[in-house]
Amino acid sequence: MTVSESAAAVGALRRARRKHRVSDIHWVDAFYQVYITGIVAIVAIVLVSGVVGDQRLGAAGMARVHAHGPAMAGLAAALAVAVGLRSGGRGGPLALEAPDVRHVLLSPVDRGVALRGPALRQIRFLALCGAGAGAAAGQLALRRLGGNPAAWVASGAAFGLLCVGLGFGSALVASGRRLPRWAATAIGAVLLAWSVADATGRGPTAPASFAGRMALWPFKFDALAVVPGVLALALVAVGIASVAGTSLESAERRTSLVGQLKFAVTLQDLRTVLVLRRQLAMEVPRTRPWLRGSRRAPRFPVWRRGWRGVLRWPLVRVARVVVLAGGAGLALRGAYSGTTPLVVLAGLALWIAALDAVEPMAQETDHPGRRDGFPMDAGSLMVRHVPAPAVLMLLIGALAAGVAALPGGGSVPLAPAGVLAGTLGLLAFMGAAVSVLQGAPNQVDQLAMITPEVAGTRTVVRTVWPPALAVGGTLPIVAARAAASTHSATALSPAVAAAFVAIPLLIVVALGVAWVRYRDQLHAWIKVSMEQMSPTKAIERAQAERAALDDGDDEEEAR
Amino acid sequence: MTGADDAPAVESIGLSKSYADLVALHPLDLAVAGGQSVALIGHNGSGKSTFLRLAAGLLEPTAGEVEIAGWPTGSPEARATTSFLPDDPVLYDDLSVREHVEYVSRLHSGPGWDDYAEELVGRLSLIDRVDDLPSRFSRGLRQKTSIVLALVRPFSVLLVDEPFVGLDQTGKAALLEMLDEVHEDGAATVVATHDPDFVERVDRCIALRDGEVVFDGKATTADVLRLVSA
Repeated sequence: MTVSESAAAVGALRRARRKHRVSDIHWVDAFYQVYITGIVAIVAIVLVSGVVGDQRLGAAGMARVHAHGPAMAGLAAALAVAVGLRSGGRGGPLALEAPDVRHVLLSPVDRGVALRGPALRQIRFLALCGAGAGAAAGQLALRRLGGNPAAWVASGAAFGLLCVGLGFGSALVASGRRLPRWAATAIGAVLLAWSVADATGRGPTAPASFAGRMALWPFKFDALAVVPGVLALALVAVGIASVAGTSLESAERRTSLVGQLKFAVTLQDLRTVLVLRRQLAMEVPRTRPWLRGSRRAPRFPVWRRGWRGVLRWPLVRVARVVVLAGGAGLALRGAYSGTTPLVVLAGLALWIAALDAVEPMAQETDHPGRRDGFPMDAGSLMVRHVPAPAVLMLLIGALAAGVAALPGGGSVPLAPAGVLAGTLGLLAFMGAAVSVLQGAPNQVDQLAMITPEVAGTRTVVRTVWPPALAVGGTLPIVAARAAASTHSATALSPAVAAAFVAIPLLIVVALGVAWVRYRDQLHAWIKVSMEQMSPTKAIERAQAERAALDDGDDEEEAR
Repeated sequence: MTGADDAPAVESIGLSKSYADLVALHPLDLAVAGGQSVALIGHNGSGKSTFLRLAAGLLEPTAGEVEIAGWPTGSPEARATTSFLPDDPVLYDDLSVREHVEYVSRLHSGPGWDDYAEELVGRLSLIDRVDDLPSRFSRGLRQKTSIVLALVRPFSVLLVDEPFVGLDQTGKAALLEMLDEVHEDGAATVVATHDPDFVERVDRCIALRDGEVVFDGKATTADVLRLVSA
């Protein structure tokens, strides 16, 4: 089949499908989507504006931007390349439909023709998003750095486009040229690490920092920033030219998973997102465990089941958890040195690690039918699932605290670090357990039973509460730092201050375990109480009572 | 590598497939002659579907290679030669049966919807549903649509994976008849199935166990039952 015949056949299908899709779109739905996107964009810009602030930087601040700005902006470019390479190494970035793989890519049409369309559509959308986000960031930079507004917006948009080009181009090249997964990940990691070293002043100028110079053009023009732009264009061109080399095996695996992933994200179904992300990354448990455990009948089967799951973690998951713990430890050092917001980073890193640790508990929630088949109530089973991940998270928390206590700049003293080792892991575990047990929001309940305002607030609370618990585990370090900076004879030592904060946190953990045990009973009680309070139910009860009385009177009269 | 007239319809040379530490198919040397009908049997997880998907070009071998009529699998020539009927019908949500047929036929330089397509659809009792969306069909009707799509295009190698799942008796009878016709027309067919009676209709039976060939030859239903229960 010639290229023009391929193009004609594929084009005919696309036109037919577009016609169907357009006829299916209702203008109210389209308008609503635009409306929601607009609202979300405005809220995001307002929030970020609040964080960035409006005050012009002083001379010292300007000097810092001059010295580290390109490297900091370059981090975004390095991240885009790393993510792109990782995605490309796994057959991304294209997310095709399953029938396209089966019918189009298995037919003798030119695969380049069939795949260039989806690739161009995807890059067009990403370019729009990148330019928009970049322009908004340029506008925010203008407030702090001053200068020509048009120049900031333009350079921000150009930098956004550059990041998209570098990331998407790298992904296409890695996928089309079949770069091995390990090589793609390694190259991305090296680029990212180099940029981090450059941004923190611990390494030579990273390649991505040249891209970062484009973001600061209105502040300081540097023609070298054009080079990454040319590279991005070249990557996209080579990627588009080699798109026919995309692996069909990877493409088919991605087809259904990406669709499900988008659906799960829209439903805020974190558990499904995690499971699908693991499948996308081909992160499967080891057939043989790292250690072969005892084969005797277990006295505590749920405890043993928990550890068997952990012992089958693939190397990549072990590495991820260790990296997250290390990252949390470094963030805690930063927080102890004075950058308080870093506790959020530390808490989130440990929460993500804990989501892996609570996998056995999550699998029981995934299959309620199987869970309810056990001769015990769900809470009783779930509470038995607490000890193994809690102990594991204590170890991971201890690792993070250990990194925080390592000698060097920003080192946390040993005693408060010891207190921290307990709270970090346990609170992160509790946050992950809450995420997993609460599952996806009940759409029917939200839409049918409560007002949109309440449903919205409830959704926010449901989403924020679990990671907030994990962040709460880092609070002893804030107390320890406050104590360390207080120069008074009556001031508490950092360790004692940390311990004082740790006590209520441990009470929260105990309450959380009780919630795991009695969650169903609690929900049943709330449901009954709500029904008791409901005016409709009260009227129904009164009617039933009246009917019962009337029946009694009728019976007496009959006698 | 280029195709040759005397090349086997399907030939695997040292073909193997592993998923991490799980070996789905051990190194396999196999040749299916042009026009031969083959039944592929074995337990669940024996490697039947893996072999078919490797031959169709949907999976990439860990080692070795597969050729279709002398062409490397995945090449445009091999794709033009091979029709794959999977066990899971994969269809567009927003195309009717007729639009599916038109599209798939056109992708293979065929005429689109024609008398042959109408005949196929009729034999599978789909004629009243041709303008409906298969996304709203039952499993069986989706499978029938998938059968039509596999047969409506030109091919000389037909790879079929568990074709009878979800089909009613009429659908199964129609499919068996169609497979016989395809064989009579000179195409090679490789059908993975759990149906022991099917082996009586084919020239050759290949039994797989844990990714390895344990039987290769003409077999009876009794042979299959013995092989599968062993």
